[in-house]
Amino acid sequence: MQMYDAIVIGARCAGASTALLLARQGHRVLVVDRASFPSDVISTHFLWPHGMSYLNRWGLLDEVLAVTPAHTTVEVVNDGIRLSGSVPPELLREYFRDLHGDDSGVVQSYASVRRRVLDQILVDAAAGAGAEVRTNVTVRELIVEDGQVVGIRGRGVDGEPVEERARIVVGADGRNSFVARALDLPKYDERPRCTFAYWSYWSGFDLGPAQLHRRGRLACAVVPTNFDQNMVLVWGPSEWSREFRADVPGNYQKALDFVSPELGEVVRLKGTRQERIYGTLDQSAFLRPLHGPGWVLVGDAESAKDQCTAIGMTHAFRDAELVSAALDGWLRGTASIDEAMTGYESRRRSQNAAAYHDYVCTLAEMRPYRHDELQLFVALRGNQQETDRFIATHADVAPVSEFFQASNLFLLNDAAKESSADHPVFADFAETSRMYQQNLFA
Amino acid sequence: MTIELDQREDGELIGIILQAAGRGDFETMARTASEVSEMTRNWATHIPWDDLAALDGADGELARVVEDLTEMWEPAHLRNPVDPDEEYALDKNAYDFYRPAGRNLLTRTEDFYDWVQARRRTETWQYSRVLEAAPDSVAQITNDLGRRARGINFNSQDYLSFNTHPAIREAAARAMHDYGPHSAGSPMVLGNTRISDDLEAALGDLVGLDHVTLFPTGWAAGFGAVVGLVRQSDHILIDRLAHSCLQQGARAATRNVVRYEHLNVEAVRRHLTEIRATDSRNGILVVTDGLFSVDADWPDLVTLQRVCREHDATLLVDVAHDLGSMGPGGTGVLGMQGLLGEVDIVMGAFSKTFCSNGGFVASRSPALKQYVKMFGGSHFFSNALSPVQTAVVREAARIIRSPEGDVLRDRLFTAIHALRDELTGRGLTCMGEPSPIVPLLIGNEKLARTANRLLFDRGVLAFMVEFPVTPTGSSRFRLQVQAGHRPEEAREAARIIEGALADSRAYLSSAFGSAPR
Repeated sequence: MQMYDAIVIGARCAGASTALLLARQGHRVLVVDRASFPSDVISTHFLWPHGMSYLNRWGLLDEVLAVTPAHTTVEVVNDGIRLSGSVPPELLREYFRDLHGDDSGVVQSYASVRRRVLDQILVDAAAGAGAEVRTNVTVRELIVEDGQVVGIRGRGVDGEPVEERARIVVGADGRNSFVARALDLPKYDERPRCTFAYWSYWSGFDLGPAQLHRRGRLACAVVPTNFDQNMVLVWGPSEWSREFRADVPGNYQKALDFVSPELGEVVRLKGTRQERIYGTLDQSAFLRPLHGPGWVLVGDAESAKDQCTAIGMTHAFRDAELVSAALDGWLRGTASIDEAMTGYESRRRSQNAAAYHDYVCTLAEMRPYRHDELQLFVALRGNQQETDRFIATHADVAPVSEFFQASNLFLLNDAAKESSADHPVFADFAETSRMYQQNLFA
Repeated sequence: MTIELDQREDGELIGIILQAAGRGDFETMARTASEVSEMTRNWATHIPWDDLAALDGADGELARVVEDLTEMWEPAHLRNPVDPDEEYALDKNAYDFYRPAGRNLLTRTEDFYDWVQARRRTETWQYSRVLEAAPDSVAQITNDLGRRARGINFNSQDYLSFNTHPAIREAAARAMHDYGPHSAGSPMVLGNTRISDDLEAALGDLVGLDHVTLFPTGWAAGFGAVVGLVRQSDHILIDRLAHSCLQQGARAATRNVVRYEHLNVEAVRRHLTEIRATDSRNGILVVTDGLFSVDADWPDLVTLQRVCREHDATLLVDVAHDLGSMGPGGTGVLGMQGLLGEVDIVMGAFSKTFCSNGGFVASRSPALKQYVKMFGGSHFFSNALSPVQTAVVREAARIIRSPEGDVLRDRLFTAIHALRDELTGRGLTCMGEPSPIVPLLIGNEKLARTANRLLFDRGVLAFMVEFPVTPTGSSRFRLQVQAGHRPEEAREAARIIEGALADSRAYLSSAFGSAPR
C-alpha cells in the first residue's frame, strides 16, 4: 500500500492550503473531500487583507482577483457613526513577521470570494503542486494502531472502498469535523451565545467597498462578490432567531430597513435576488485540542467562531501556513514531532489568540453598544491612524491588547475632534437602549 | 450557476426533518433532506443527508442525528442556561464603563456598580480586601463579603520587610512622642519639621541630587511635578506604561502628549526630532519609570538622558519601585546604570520600600525645587507628611544605606529567584527581570479572575491586575516579594498558584493558559 507523508481530510480553505504548502515543500500528500468542486459551503467568504496576503504569498492572488472585485477601504457604521479605513500595511507586515517570521507578499486589499470560486482555485493549486486530490471520498474511519492514527478508511464516489496510510492525518474538515468526532475530542472555551445569520446574493447595484452596519442588536453587511453580485447579510442575537424564522424573506428586509434604511431601500428598489436566502445559527464558538498521536487539526475543526468578524477563512490560511511549516520541519527530520507541534500550539494558544477569541465571542452576543463604546467610535472619527488600527484589531491583525489599553483610550479621548452632539443616537440614549432590547421580529 | 430562488430556507427544512423524526417518519425526513441546500450539506457533513431514510433507530443512530440537527436549529445557550452573574462578572472589563450615559452624574454610575456587585457575588472582585493584622510575609485578610483567609503574602509592597523592623517601629514611636500624629499644615506653611529637612538630605544623598521636595503621597509627587512644570504649549513624551500619576498629570498639563511605545528609546528620539522640527520655543518633558510596576522591566536611561539633552528636553524618572530595594547600596535602577546625580528629575514614593506614605521630587536645581513647591498644587495645597511618616522614611533611608540594607536586599533577591524559578519551572510565564515585582502573565481575564477566586482559600495572597492597569487580554498576577519571604515559602506559593491556574482552566474548560504573546 502506498504510504503518504500526510493525509489531509477536507479540501477547502484549511485543507487544500495545507496540502498545497506541504506538497510544495516536497512531501507526499493525499487530500480528500466528500464534495466535488466547484461547490459552495456556508461561509461569509470574506478575506481580510492578511487572508489576501496569504494567497499572494502562495501565488494565487492574481487568479482570484481576475474574477473577484477587491477594495482597500471598508466602511463601518455603528448606530449611524461612520468610520472608514484600511488595515495599515505596517501592521500587516508586523503580523506576518510575528507569526511566520517573514513578511513577504503583504497586500492591503480585501475581497469576498464565493467558495465555488475560491475552493476550486485552492484545490487546483494543491493538485498542481503535486498533492493527490480525491473528491467525493467520504472518510468513515480513522485507522488507529497502538494509539496512533496511521490512516483512513472510507468510500469513493461509486462506493468503492478507500484505505490509505500516512505519517500524519490532518483534520481540516470544518466545525463539524469528522476527525474530531472520531477521536472523541472535547470542546474547550465554548461560547454558546452567537448570532443567527441570513444572507443572499443580489445584482442590480454597486455600492463600492464593503459596508458593515450595526444598530442595536442587529447588523447587516453589503459586500461585492463574484458574478457582479453583492452578498447582503443580516445578523442578530441567536435568541431572536426563532421569531426571525417565522418569515425569513420579510424579516430579512425588515432587519435591513432597521439597521440602515438607506441600504434597505437600495436592496428593495434596485436589487434583484439571484439565489435563495441562506441562514444559520449554529455558530457557537469553541476550541478543540490541536494535535495528538498521528493527527493535527487546522481551521474551523480546531477553532470555530461566530461569523461576526468574518475571520474564519483568513484564520484557516494562517493555520495552513503554521501547520505546514511545523510539519515540514518534522517530516524533514530537523525537529521532533513534539517540537513541531509545540511550536504550532504556542502560536495558536497565545495570549493574543485568547484575547481575540474573547473579542469575537463578546461581539457575537450582539448586545447593544454601550454609551462608552459608541463614544469611542465618535472619538475615533477624525483620527485615521487609530481608526485604521481599530479596524486592524477587529480583523485580528493587531493584538486586541494594543488597542484596548488605558493609555491608548485616554489618548483617543483627549484627541477627540467631535462630540456626541453630532450623532442622534446619543439624544435620548436610555430610551433608545431600551427600545434596542425589544425583539424586532416578535 | 444554479438559481434556487424558490426553495425553502434550510432552517425551515431542518425543522420539518426534526418533526418527522419525532413521528418516526423516515420517508419525509429523506424527502425533505434532498431539498437542503448544497451550502448546508457541505457544511454539516456530520448529518447523513442521503441516508436519512435508512435510519432505523438502532445503536442510537437516530437520536444522534436528532441531537445534531437540534444543535443547528436551536440556540444552544437557551437550552443550557448559565449563571448570569458569573457570565457578566467574567466577561466585562472596566473600560466598558468608562464613558457612562446620561446627564445625571449620580444615576449613571449604576451600570458599573451592577457589574461590581456581580463580581462581588461571584467572588471575582479582587479589590478592597482588608488586613486583619500587620502584613508580614504571611497575612490574614478579609474579602468584601466578610470571608477571611490567611496566606503567604505577595500582596503587600514592603520590599525590605520594614513594617516589622524594630528600628522602624522605634523611629515611629519616637516621632509620635516628640511631635504628635499630625503635620498641622501645608509644607509651604508650617507642616514640615526638622526631621523633614534631614529626610530631604538623606534622599538627596541616595539619588545623588541635592534639591529634594517632599510630597504627602507618591501620586502627588508625580502629578505635582508634571503639572508644576509643564504648560499647555509644552510637550510631553511619556512611556505608554508609565505610572498613572504621571499619565494623569500629563493629561492635565497639556494636550501635546505622545505616549511612546514601552521602553523604546528610538521612538523617543524620533518624536523629539519631529517636535523640534516645528517647535523650538517650548519645553519637552520625557517621562518614564525606573522599574515598571506591571511589567517589571526598565529603560536604558543612559541613552534616554543623552537623547533628551541632544534635543533640549528634560527627563523625569519615577523610581518608586526600585529605589531602596535594588541596585548598589539601594540606589535602584539609577545606581545600576551609573546615573546617580545624572538624571534631570527623579521622583519616587515611600510606599514600596520605605514603609510609609509620601513621595519626593529631586533635581540638581534649587530653582526647579522652589518652582515645583509653588506650582505643583499637590505640594502647596496638601498637608505635609506627618512627623511619624517622615521619621519612618528617614530611618528606612538610613537602613537602606547601611550594611544591613545589603543583607536585606540579598534575602529579598534570594526569595525573588526562588519564586521566579519555581514558576518558570512549572511552565508559567514570569515577565520582566528579577526585581521585587514578579508579574505572572495570565492573559485571559476570565482565567485570571477565576484563579484569583480559588487562590483566596488556598493560602496565597496575590493581587490580580487587569484593565486599566494592564491592556485587555494581558491580565496577570503581580506578586510583590519581601525580604521576609523564605525561599521555601516562595516555592510553596508557586506550587499553589500553578494548582489554582490548572483548576481554573478545568473549571472554565479553557484551552488557553499562561501563554506568551
